[in-house]
Amino acid sequence: MNQSDVHVVAPEMALSFFRGIMPFNSLDDATLNHLARHCRVDFYPKGTRLFTADKTEITHLYLIQRGGVKAFIEDDHGEITLKDFRGEGAYIGALGIIRGTLASLNIETVEDTFCFLLPREIFLKLVQEEPSFAHYYLKSFSEKIVKTAYKELRHHKVSKRSGDDLYLFSVKVGELVKTMLKLPSSSSIQEAATIMAKYRVGSLLIHEPADEDNVVGIITDRDFRGKVVAAGLDYTLPVAEIMSGPVKSVLSQALCFDVLLKMMTTGIHHLAVERGGRIIGVVTSHDIMLLQGHSPYYLFKEIRGEQQIRGLYVLAQKIPEVIRGLITEGAKAGNITQMIAILNDHILERMLILLEKQMGPPPLPYCWLLMGSEGRREQTFKTDQDNAILYADSENEEEKTAAESYFKEFADKAINHLVNCGYPLCPGEIMANNPKWCQPLSVWKSYFTTWISVPDPAELLHATIFFDFRAGYGDSSLALELRKHLNNEARRKDIFLFHLARQCLSIRIPLSFFKNFIVEKDGEHKHHLDIKRQGLTPFVNFARVLALKHGISETNTLARFKALLDGEYINPELWSSANEAYELQMQQRLIHQLRQIEEGTLPDNHINPEYLSDLERRMLKDAFIVIERLSSVLDKMYPTA
Amino acid sequence: MLNLLKPGSWFSRPDPLLQKNKECFISFDQGRPLAEYSFVVCDTELTGLNWKKDELISIGAVMIKDLQIDLASTFHHFVRPQHMEATKATLVHRITPEQLERAEPIEAVLPRFIEFIEGSLLVGHHLILDMHFLNKAAKKVLGGTLSNPGIDTMRMAQGYKRVLLGHYHEHNPREISYGLDDLGREYNLPVFKPHDALEDALQTAYLFLYFVKKFRKGGLVTLKDIYQAGRVGSLRY
Repeated sequence: MNQSDVHVVAPEMALSFFRGIMPFNSLDDATLNHLARHCRVDFYPKGTRLFTADKTEITHLYLIQRGGVKAFIEDDHGEITLKDFRGEGAYIGALGIIRGTLASLNIETVEDTFCFLLPREIFLKLVQEEPSFAHYYLKSFSEKIVKTAYKELRHHKVSKRSGDDLYLFSVKVGELVKTMLKLPSSSSIQEAATIMAKYRVGSLLIHEPADEDNVVGIITDRDFRGKVVAAGLDYTLPVAEIMSGPVKSVLSQALCFDVLLKMMTTGIHHLAVERGGRIIGVVTSHDIMLLQGHSPYYLFKEIRGEQQIRGLYVLAQKIPEVIRGLITEGAKAGNITQMIAILNDHILERMLILLEKQMGPPPLPYCWLLMGSEGRREQTFKTDQDNAILYADSENEEEKTAAESYFKEFADKAINHLVNCGYPLCPGEIMANNPKWCQPLSVWKSYFTTWISVPDPAELLHATIFFDFRAGYGDSSLALELRKHLNNEARRKDIFLFHLARQCLSIRIPLSFFKNFIVEKDGEHKHHLDIKRQGLTPFVNFARVLALKHGISETNTLARFKALLDGEYINPELWSSANEAYELQMQQRLIHQLRQIEEGTLPDNHINPEYLSDLERRMLKDAFIVIERLSSVLDKMYPTA
Repeated sequence: MLNLLKPGSWFSRPDPLLQKNKECFISFDQGRPLAEYSFVVCDTELTGLNWKKDELISIGAVMIKDLQIDLASTFHHFVRPQHMEATKATLVHRITPEQLERAEPIEAVLPRFIEFIEGSLLVGHHLILDMHFLNKAAKKVLGGTLSNPGIDTMRMAQGYKRVLLGHYHEHNPREISYGLDDLGREYNLPVFKPHDALEDALQTAYLFLYFVKKFRKGGLVTLKDIYQAGRVGSLRY
């Protein structure tokens, strides 16, 4: 047949379809044209079975143009486990073709579905010739895709600012460390000072006289000033007298970020760096700060040194900027929320210390409790206050009255300062200035006993955030005792766990299958994904129920998952998918909110899937599969019938 | 040869191409499963809607085999009309006058189209209009008309709605739009750029597959079933 120019060009609709999906969008037009002309288009009404596991020979790669399918497996007893939803732009059959196996999953359309069918040979050729194809389709060996997703999040969603190229997440302390001179601990103070002057160094490592590899301490310039000269110490004494030891160490492959976190939590500013079991040198907070512009560490120091409560108002506003720096550097959500928690905790601590100074010491030991997301160390930029005061039981009536009036005033003032720092009030009034939530230990214990032994489903709904409490500031032994009480009560009361579990399952909201994506069917945020309620809460709830069941004291969701794994209450595979899915969604939420802050709007949790990239959608969708799995675990553990 | 094709030549008889086309359908069996037929979904663009005066300016078509749209078998040609002047004023298409001036005349394009549709059933949206202009051209160029049986997706839509909604009660049929893009939206089909003969043919092909397979779920498996169930119109135009 005589073919003119118009004829050999594939239809525009086919080309534009391929240009819109990964990884085809990376191909040039000639290749696309060739591909498109080898495709067929087929239509499968809702409910059509496309593949049957272990039976269907895969002759084509199916690319969904319109509609959606579900992938599921069916065991010998006919029990069906949902594995995946795939929608527009998604593929079916790639792995089977690449591996040369029969279909491994059952595939059935859940909507009227149109697919492009690309012949198997052509697809295989692409996989062989285009590195991006092999890479993309082998995503089930998934580490890489996760990395790509994070990279994409960073690069496309957070605009770069000049001079912002920081290295906290790429530099390992091993690269930063200066190999250090060592002296035996038996050397004299004077010998040490001579060496330091000669080599112009500010610190020395001190080892056991007989074993050079056994580092027992460290001395710095500051030790000479404070411990020797000012104290008039005899400098013929051995250096062991003035050294700081034992030395805390970090591994040389640790990221600077982690080292910084360690310094901030322990308050130690010199850490020894260990490689292959040997201390090779020292890294200081100063070394790390040199890497940094907007350093969390600077902010941390500023907060610790602030003498005025008003000053804290300003410092608290700097937190988003610091966090932004971390995101652009590639911190994962787990690290970021940890950092937010540390910084918020320090604001709180500093504020309460200054407030105590103003009001005089409290009549009884107390602990400022943090609840909900703060309790779990999972807050993002602007989270409502959820806090309470727990104080020691009083000996007599007089003490009781004194405590009530002191903590009432203390809480009123503290809440007010927190508002000024930018932490909004809790609409449910779960705050320390609510008399109900400012109580002695015995009352708190009775609260939990009531919630647990006579669970009222309606009340339980509001009470869940209390189960995530942790000590924010003050006498943490009080919080510890309350936690012990809670764990003892909860473990024994199956009926309580049952209600909690059923409640988690019941708040699963109807989801619709919209454009390859799961969004709310109606309401104000129609076609938006509420990433907190729909995406994150199911993980939080699952972890809480199982933590209470097994007496795990952790409140952080990832930590709870880890503890559940360590206790062998969940299998490693479920743990790793849950861990990954949860963290990725937190990341998505953080970035969404960061962008809103920068646009000057109030941060919320409503994500419009249209603004997500193909890959991000895929990752989020995978997360929803994990949620289904968690729900079914819970459902089996606490069945209704 | 050209003499024979001149309109009005009294001993004119159909071109061998049309003869061959006719033979394909002499013993046409409507009772086979649908997947065994091949269909050509076509759409034409015209200089206007005057049945007497207006002419074809492009023909787009795509083949359906095994009830799948075969993107390797497409047909898309512009046609240079005899009366270019009128055309310039009436164009709503994406075709520029320059493209038409460069295009071949219907005498060259039509035989290729007839080869392309050989042995296939023709499918179109409001097919009667396309067939009128194609047959007008065929008479002029080849001295005869096309023998391919046709299926009109507009009538399929009417049949489908009748099945779906029961009978006409409560629904004024006038309120229902049977336009190609309206139907596409109604059934949530992918929508392509309109006023391009090939894209419109593909759009129609999507609609056709949709109806055929939706009907098929109701146990309609042969061509005859489709004709009867949807009362989608006669075989011949």
